[in-house]
Amino acid sequence: MVKSSKSALGIIFPNSYDALVPELVNVRLMASIPFASRYRLIDFVLSSMTHCNIDNISVMVNHNYHSLMDHLDSGREWDLVRKNGGLHIFPPFAEKESKPYVGRVSAIASILDFLRDQKEKYAVITDTNLAVNFDFSAMIKAHIESGADVTAAYNQQELPENLLKSTSNDQGYYYTFDIEDGRVKNIFVNMREKGIQNYSMNIFVVERELLIDLINTAFVRGEQYFERDVLLPQLNILNVQAYKYDGYVARISDLKSYFDENMKLLDDYNLDALFSGPPIYTKIRDDNPTRYIEGAKVQNVMVADGCIIEGEVENSVLFRGVKVAKGAKVRNSILMQGSVIEAGASVEYLVADKNVTIRAGKEMKGTDSFPVYISKFRVV
Amino acid sequence: MAKEMIAMLLAGGQGSRLYALTEKLAKPAVPFGGKYRIIDFPLSNCVNSGIDTVGILTQYQPLVLNEYIGNGQPWDLDRLYGGVHVLPPYQKASGSDWYKGTANAIYQNISFIERYDPQYVIILSGDQICKQDYSDFLKFHKEKDAEFSVAVMEVPWEEASRFGLMVAGEDDRITEFQEKPKEPKSNLASMGIYIFNWDILRKYLEEDEADPNSENDFGNNIIPNLLRDNRRMYAYHFDGYWKDVGTISSLWEANMEVLDPEHSGINLFDDDWKIYSRNSGMTGHKISAGAVVENSMLTDGCRIKGTVKHSILFSGVKVEKGAVVEDAVIMGNSVVKAGAVVRHCIIAENVTINENAVVGEMPSGDENGVATVGDGVTIGAGAKVGPKAMVRNNIEGGEEQW
Repeated sequence: MVKSSKSALGIIFPNSYDALVPELVNVRLMASIPFASRYRLIDFVLSSMTHCNIDNISVMVNHNYHSLMDHLDSGREWDLVRKNGGLHIFPPFAEKESKPYVGRVSAIASILDFLRDQKEKYAVITDTNLAVNFDFSAMIKAHIESGADVTAAYNQQELPENLLKSTSNDQGYYYTFDIEDGRVKNIFVNMREKGIQNYSMNIFVVERELLIDLINTAFVRGEQYFERDVLLPQLNILNVQAYKYDGYVARISDLKSYFDENMKLLDDYNLDALFSGPPIYTKIRDDNPTRYIEGAKVQNVMVADGCIIEGEVENSVLFRGVKVAKGAKVRNSILMQGSVIEAGASVEYLVADKNVTIRAGKEMKGTDSFPVYISKFRVV
Repeated sequence: MAKEMIAMLLAGGQGSRLYALTEKLAKPAVPFGGKYRIIDFPLSNCVNSGIDTVGILTQYQPLVLNEYIGNGQPWDLDRLYGGVHVLPPYQKASGSDWYKGTANAIYQNISFIERYDPQYVIILSGDQICKQDYSDFLKFHKEKDAEFSVAVMEVPWEEASRFGLMVAGEDDRITEFQEKPKEPKSNLASMGIYIFNWDILRKYLEEDEADPNSENDFGNNIIPNLLRDNRRMYAYHFDGYWKDVGTISSLWEANMEVLDPEHSGINLFDDDWKIYSRNSGMTGHKISAGAVVENSMLTDGCRIKGTVKHSILFSGVKVEKGAVVEDAVIMGNSVVKAGAVVRHCIIAENVTINENAVVGEMPSGDENGVATVGDGVTIGAGAKVGPKAMVRNNIEGGEEQW
């Protein structure tokens, strides 16, 4: 297929911000965190790209990526089994001297030969800590019209509380923009100011050849971070345009925000805002429909297929294949795939990772501001 | 490279007794059980039984079915050698024929079967709900050194005369076949699932085709001819769940039985025997505060604000506030608007039931019809659809159809 002058390839960083959610990435990475009853976080950017004809996508996995490989498989669910392009997963080479990628620079530097061989004119770079139904076509169009070297997407929101309170930088870098006439004048790294900020979504559009140049130069100099080391020092030379995104953004920045962003989807307004666009694809599990047995009581819940509900469930998000037995009570909780709440057990403000079992009669209670987290396969 | 056994799935049935549900699609494509279509059952049975080559014989309204089957990937039947193939009748140098009967449909595809050089061919039917391990059936066929085997179900004697019956001895060898007899000699009903040795089947198909008086039908022609020649014919007893869903009431009943797997025996919650289907891709279903959901099955994409009791809702069904759904089967993307009451009925896909309309009613006395609303129909606000109604066209607000 001949690529048009507007076509773009995608580069996804599935490990970005892993450090913010240590519990959830214990056995996985940011991209494969379950979200919204049946998805993994990467489904959102991946599906958005597919819908925008971005069908040559490189996923720069770094560590803990088995769950993501399992989830993505050949990429068929996202229509990414292509003769030209399709899905590429790039782990770091396991050689004596090599290390995991530190920032985007060393990661992209490791695929420069691949990038040189591609036909697409533009490259789109994203992380996976955002659940968005993002229109990349509109952003690429804006990029072309503005004549920018780099276009960076942001939304306007307050910085998450845990980042404001943080006293160290070892959870990684986040960025906010100072914008003048649509151009990024300054990039602040790990800003700790209250109030609405131009919060970088870490989604970038850049011409593929310019990206190769920028990365090549930065890598030779031993630089690591695209935003901090490549864009920030060159803001006067590079025309970096800011692209404001007004759509729905669920941003995962710690366990609490993970809990809140799931719960927000119980409000139809938010649910429609995130899902009324083109469909979000995910791995198919071929579950049967969910069954509500006599005696079940449910109020204000989002439930995926394959569940069997016999107890009471309120204000909760249930992933595929969850069982809530007779007399069990589930309130304000998130139960991931395959969790079992046995007869008479009672849980509240709980985040149960995959295949957690709460034994009959047991009680687990967190609070609104501090939900309890139970790790994968644990039996309580 | 020869295949041991391939499957030929008869999916040409018009399903005329399903009326409004099969106006635009073939019977095997009729939705079932919340997220499936009828054909998902035989296809999933095939792949779960280790059969990787399936020919689907279609001729009536094939569009939906063709699109649904696609390359067979949802059933893991996208294979380099084998896989699923839709086989409609086609034009030949010497003219073209519609499939004249079930046997003729297979006859016209002899060259398809020969490509796989199979030892056995299993003939399946696309209008039954059944979870069956065909490899077990094949094992029986081999053990008996049979040339033909048919899967049979024991049915109550008083109902036996409604079925095609196999009369078999102690050793399961078939001695007689009775098609819907007044005086049944057996209560072993044929499920319409046959295993043939391919050389035998081929011989009898060719002989049947040469007979100008034949109806080219398995039950009426092929099986009697096999009996005439004293072939080694055996009856394989199947005692799992099996239902012919050829009528509105049996389709409704089978759906309701899915709600009660403990008693009905149709368990879709079986990890070892999954039924595969094409997925809607919608987000999890949503039950709002104030909604009531009792003893029901819901699928991805449903939005429930009203009351749902003892019903099966397919993906994307919306039940608005104040609406009541009871004993109902509502297929994909249909909407029940505020205040509407929907009972004891089958609502096809993409139907809109407007405010305060009433569709169907709970059975009372002799009245136990299942109201049926066809694909894409709109029922106007305040309209009334009687319990025996078969709605194919839109009903204006305030009007009635009985």
